[in-house]
Amino acid sequence: MISKRIKRVVLALSLGAAGFTLSACDGTSVGVRYGYGYDPFYDSMLWNDYYRWGGSVNRPPKPKPPEGKPPPRPTPPIAKPPPRPTPPIAKPPARPPVARPPAARPPIHRPAPRARR
Amino acid sequence: MRIPIGSALAVCAALWLGGVTPASADTPITYSDSGRGLFSFAVPDFWVVRTGGPREIEDTELGDLRAVARVMAIRPVTDDNVWMGFVSPAGVASIEGGLRYLEDIDKFLVEDPVVSSTSNTRIGGLPARVIRGTGNRDGRGINFTATVVDLPNGRVAVVVAILRNGADPAYVDELNAVFASFRALQ
Repeated sequence: MISKRIKRVVLALSLGAAGFTLSACDGTSVGVRYGYGYDPFYDSMLWNDYYRWGGSVNRPPKPKPPEGKPPPRPTPPIAKPPPRPTPPIAKPPARPPVARPPAARPPIHRPAPRARR
Repeated sequence: MRIPIGSALAVCAALWLGGVTPASADTPITYSDSGRGLFSFAVPDFWVVRTGGPREIEDTELGDLRAVARVMAIRPVTDDNVWMGFVSPAGVASIEGGLRYLEDIDKFLVEDPVVSSTSNTRIGGLPARVIRGTGNRDGRGINFTATVVDLPNGRVAVVVAILRNGADPAYVDELNAVFASFRALQ
């Protein structure tokens, strides 16, 4: 016959195990669905049509990338390692340009872009 | 040797306050363009910063290569329902221009946006326009606050804060703290 003391121990162990199981479902353990590989808001903020429609509205021209050579950099404190030997696996081709994210909603009342000459 | 009770209580209170009061350790971040700092803000503790940088992106549909200004973004480490982005677009020199700029990015940011209020205010001592509203993104409702801050020397800062449905309302205070820390650097 199982004594009451053993029953209490088994009950306590069972409750403890259940507590641990429930704690794994605690709301404090929040999972992040995306890191910074895909961030819809960030990618969307990169895109705008502000500079495209400069003909019909008084808008500034597109910004140009910086021209000329950048100033020479000072010698870094950490020396460069010797060149590595050629790896046996060739590098993949360059990545294609970043794809334009899909519009959350289609543009409305937008004049057509000027035809290129 | 006798120690006065009043002095002992004062020392204990000071030690208790020092141990209990949370340390304000926000991290200052500077938004720069071409090596020149434009504005700064403080990132709350346990938030992630994405710095970005100027680059060129090609529209694969239109073959339109364009320069893109630096976009910086912050969000809590453990909650992706809260997001805040900063950009100072080149060539946009006024609040009105910043609002037109917003019109041309909002279709990528928010679906079915409904503006609930627009107000003029000052952020970091600078004039600013704040647009608040709601919308959808990927099937979920969001609250957005888009702000255009008029920076000195013909620049603006466009700041977009997003709170998706389900976000902890306590983050509103942290987002407002970021605005409170905003300072122009020119």
